[in-house]
Amino acid sequence: MKRYDLITPEGTRDLLFEDCLARKEVESKLEGLFKGFGYSEVVTPGIEFYDVFSSSARGFRQESLYKLTDSKGRLIVMRPDSTLPIARLVATRLKESELPLRLFYNQSLYENNSLLKGRSDEMVQAGVELIGSASVKRGDYEVLCLGVSSLKEFDDNFRLEIGHIGYFKALIDKLGVDKMVEEEIRMLISAKNYPALNDLLDTIGDNQIIKTLKQLPRLFGGVEVFDKAAELFTDDKIDGILVNLREVYDRLTCLGYEGKISVDLGIVSHIDYYTGIVFKGYISGVGSAVLKGGRYDKLIGEFGRDVNAVGFGVNVDAIANYMRKKGASPEISIPDAVVFGKKGFVVEAIAYARELCNKGMTVENGLFDTLDETIDYAKKKGIKKIYVVDEEIKEVCCDE
Amino acid sequence: MNKPLRIALTKGRLEKDTISLFEKIGYDCTAVREKGRKLILPIEDGNIEVVLAKANDVITYVEHGVCDMGVVGKDTIMEMQGKFFELVDLGFGKCKFALATKKGSKFYGGYDVKTIATKYPNIARAHFESKGMDVEIVKIEGSVELAPLLELSDGIVDIVETGTTLKENGLEVIEDIVPVSARLIVNMVSMKLRQEEIEKLVSLIEANI
Repeated sequence: MKRYDLITPEGTRDLLFEDCLARKEVESKLEGLFKGFGYSEVVTPGIEFYDVFSSSARGFRQESLYKLTDSKGRLIVMRPDSTLPIARLVATRLKESELPLRLFYNQSLYENNSLLKGRSDEMVQAGVELIGSASVKRGDYEVLCLGVSSLKEFDDNFRLEIGHIGYFKALIDKLGVDKMVEEEIRMLISAKNYPALNDLLDTIGDNQIIKTLKQLPRLFGGVEVFDKAAELFTDDKIDGILVNLREVYDRLTCLGYEGKISVDLGIVSHIDYYTGIVFKGYISGVGSAVLKGGRYDKLIGEFGRDVNAVGFGVNVDAIANYMRKKGASPEISIPDAVVFGKKGFVVEAIAYARELCNKGMTVENGLFDTLDETIDYAKKKGIKKIYVVDEEIKEVCCDE
Repeated sequence: MNKPLRIALTKGRLEKDTISLFEKIGYDCTAVREKGRKLILPIEDGNIEVVLAKANDVITYVEHGVCDMGVVGKDTIMEMQGKFFELVDLGFGKCKFALATKKGSKFYGGYDVKTIATKYPNIARAHFESKGMDVEIVKIEGSVELAPLLELSDGIVDIVETGTTLKENGLEVIEDIVPVSARLIVNMVSMKLRQEEIEKLVSLIEANI
């Protein structure tokens, strides 16, 4: 039998030293930001019942979930997302809580990719959920601004892209096709597959709504998108959505983010999950969106508490990798000193090392029996000082 | 941004067709015409960088964003899938996926589970799944036509251009699955961050196909 005791499963890896520092740095920056805005941390279990993620509206493909069974034979999955567990939490243990709830999380998600394409099966995501905001608009602004700040924390050359799921929903409702066709149209728009979308829509007919849907994948970019969209098709509902989105766009741009905010009316992912504004964040040099979020006013209701919500998640690993590549993440530091206890002073040396730690130094306890070996070791590691603990404490410099 | 726009081309026929298209647009492609063994080549005064890769790798490079765009057959896209935008049907590299069997054999009939040999297991599986039909799929790397002749399989799912190979080996197409042609694909982030350059190139391409 082949043993797999020397490697990690496909899509996972050990994180060493600088990797850990880079990740911690990203996490602590985000945490600082979220806490600063009054968000409190929650941790949900790494495994959950399959049922939490199984309704079709929740958008998880069966094959992408890591599944196990518990001692009673019930189906368990490894957490593929944090928002649904938080929705469950808000509808159950927090059901009596005052609103709004400002929650943040920072935890691993699991997805069964197994495609050997260099994607991870385990990913750390940090994010916020703002639940039960009295004014939907104020809630949207708060979370959008937090999103912008999160991106800006790591790269000035970021882009936050906003859209509104209602735009596509309004159009497709007017078209009146069955669910299967609707889903196909949605997928083609999402993939910006112009040729196939045109072919499909041509078989349905030819009117202004179809013309608009054909253009939908192209409706992204700057402020001009709103004019283009308005020219294509409007009614009261769509007009309302566009005016609302334009206001968000203008306000955010005015905050000093000229050219960093863009619009994409063709963001149509998770259509049964999101109900309002949707957004994605990019930084140059990372091949996929590093931030994703939106408004989901119906989701917590599915768990039994009817309350609005908006939030986003940030791919911590992707940003940490990017920071390392950019050389902007911390390096492993060399300890300030080695503390060497002479024979009979081993414990005293450790106690002295502890004292130095308390003063803010980084020290190593010497593990060799002689001072010479300790000096060799310190030189090799580039450690500049040795404290020799005897009846009294002596300092030895070991500069080259 | 002064970084060149990087486009991955599937080596071979799609590469040649794409380069012809670029020349029609008016780009100077001598570097690619005289490439030797180099795999990354500048064209259009270095504003565009052509990367030559195998079909599957074109998708991988574009998906990861190390190439902004790629030219690859729909067959590879269907087999590999992945997350990227598929912007233009370039119209060349045309062929189709088809189901072929030995001449005269009855594939759809009876209740025996049929065996299919193919280089494209995902496409074959998806096709029969959509019909609600259980089939056994055998992955073959080389000439798939051999499998039914050697009676390993009842039929094959493969790319068919002219059908000559099939005919010469006593096989016939019994069902067209899907037409195939070359596609221009774009990384999802590049599309947003380099929208202007990409849209310019795309409209030039669309005007010249």
